[in-house]
Amino acid sequence: MSRILGIELRRSAALGAVLTLLVAGAGLLYAAPERWSAGWMPLVMTQREYLVLLWPLALAAGAWQSRREHRSNVAELFVSTARPRAQRMVPTLGAMSIGVVSAYLAVLAVAAPWIFDTAGYLPAAAFAVAAVGGLALVAAVWFGLAVGRLVPSLVTAPALAVAGIGLLMVTPVADGSREWVSLVFSPMYGMGQYTDFQTVYGRVSVAQAIWLTALAATGAVLLASGSWRIRVAALLPAVLGATLAIMVVPRDDKFVVHPIDPVAQEQVCAEGSPRVCVSRIHSGLLSEVTPLAREALAILAKLPDPPTTAHEDTTTYYPDTAPPRQADVVLIPVGVDKSGHLAHKATVLSEMLRMVGANTHGCDAGGDTPVSRAATSWLTGREPVTDDPEEPAELNAEAVTLWRGLQGLPAKEAAARVAAVRRAALDCAELTGLLSRSAR
Amino acid sequence: MRWLTLYLRSRRVPVALAATAGTVVLMWSLWTAFSETRDVGVPMVILTVLLCVAALTATLAGPDDALERTGSLPWPRRRAAHLLGALAVVVLLLLATLATGARFGPAGLVVRDAAGLLGLTALGATTVGAARSWFLPLAWTLVTLVLSLPETAWAQVLTWQIQAPGNVVAGLTAGLLATAGSLAYAVAGPARQAPAEATL
Repeated sequence: MSRILGIELRRSAALGAVLTLLVAGAGLLYAAPERWSAGWMPLVMTQREYLVLLWPLALAAGAWQSRREHRSNVAELFVSTARPRAQRMVPTLGAMSIGVVSAYLAVLAVAAPWIFDTAGYLPAAAFAVAAVGGLALVAAVWFGLAVGRLVPSLVTAPALAVAGIGLLMVTPVADGSREWVSLVFSPMYGMGQYTDFQTVYGRVSVAQAIWLTALAATGAVLLASGSWRIRVAALLPAVLGATLAIMVVPRDDKFVVHPIDPVAQEQVCAEGSPRVCVSRIHSGLLSEVTPLAREALAILAKLPDPPTTAHEDTTTYYPDTAPPRQADVVLIPVGVDKSGHLAHKATVLSEMLRMVGANTHGCDAGGDTPVSRAATSWLTGREPVTDDPEEPAELNAEAVTLWRGLQGLPAKEAAARVAAVRRAALDCAELTGLLSRSAR
Repeated sequence: MRWLTLYLRSRRVPVALAATAGTVVLMWSLWTAFSETRDVGVPMVILTVLLCVAALTATLAGPDDALERTGSLPWPRRRAAHLLGALAVVVLLLLATLATGARFGPAGLVVRDAAGLLGLTALGATTVGAARSWFLPLAWTLVTLVLSLPETAWAQVLTWQIQAPGNVVAGLTAGLLATAGSLAYAVAGPARQAPAEATL
């Protein structure tokens, strides 16, 4: 058996499928590394999203392989051999699935070195997401084999691929905002990431695995069967699998629309003091963030009662969550660039010190820009400048005036006024005028 | 006339024509049934062109090309006419929809994509054989549909199928593929196949 499998691996479309899927998968990943450079979970999810191309190609590979007997004019000869058809099909099924799975893993292996140094957090969900991706390809190639056998025409393979990509593209539109339907039947749905903390919950992966296994089973039975009765019966696994998957898949928005991994958001802290922490998924960037964050804390130390800790800003917009407003914590904006390192290094410090290092998430007003800018400038000792070319000029002029006023004050009084601005910002209170009157 | 009938039958043109027309009718019905707008979405138009070209691919080789070559006929002219005929079928079928409730347009895009994809297929038929020639047009078009690249000239070459109809770079790319494909196919004809693969 293993000898036949070896022959089949060499002589079937498996090799061509490996090569095609590998080139397409790796090419798509490296065409936009910023989409997955943040960690392992973003990588496996992005790879799943690119099933939009790989899945139809796997369908086509199966259909093409299945035409071989028809192409070689040996159907009658094989029917005359006293062996069950199923026995002859097992090596083909095996060779094709080994091909697509190894291609899927090879794409991961090609992408892994890019983020190996910087990606730290590897949750179990990442393995599940990758496994379902491999399973999706197996299901596609087996189903393709079945269709290619039932309709042994030259057009079958391209038509099946077009139908596949059409299905993947149409499902999210056609589900009538019942996103869980798309989540079950489209192996690429929900893999686009709004934030690095996004995840796929275990039950969703289980539901997807059930459906894909059922689809693969239907394909295998259709391929191996000789009679129409068995072919009709082959629909049974697909129907059962679809029903079971729909029963298993969670429907709550928390799991379907905006799945966030709280463990990825947990803060991991650097050694030493003051405390600097980043989220677990960005823990590989801790050594890059720490010096910048400590510099910001050192600047803020000029204030009475200064903040002592810096945490990563784990704000997400979908769902709308933000870290709580705490007086002793300064938030660090952490972005990941396309090589997996800290993005926007030059602006991290100024972003941390904006609003005098106060967390203003959830406040209605944007705060008084001249006041907060002048207060921050007093801390850094640099004249206020604008970073927005569209801003009206008088805004910055006012900030400069306020800043000059602060510099004319005794250091203790100025520090008290700036601290008052920070307190007010934390309370979402009005900042206007706080720098011009005495803090007491 | 008798030669033409025999030729068309040997290349299984009636089946291919039926498949092409069936594709257009299917896509047309899908759009009519599920969409409110008249103009068909560009991805759907491109996929339809791709399918039509794939359906006509099988006609690029006969049951016994070696035997066919021995016929002392001016083949290059006939092969070129075959490709032109295939292009005309695809373009006319799709342009006919412009008068209906689901318009597969714009015409410039249909003509450019049909010519380019047909040229690419003909190039494939000349080099790797008609049986495998569907693959490159399919893979290239699907990649184009999912890949988003910056608007550089090279990116426009890579994604020529989805560029606007007036795009010069995409037009040149399609023209180059069409010219190269039809020249190669007209001069060299379909690739020689192993005898076992004689039946498509």
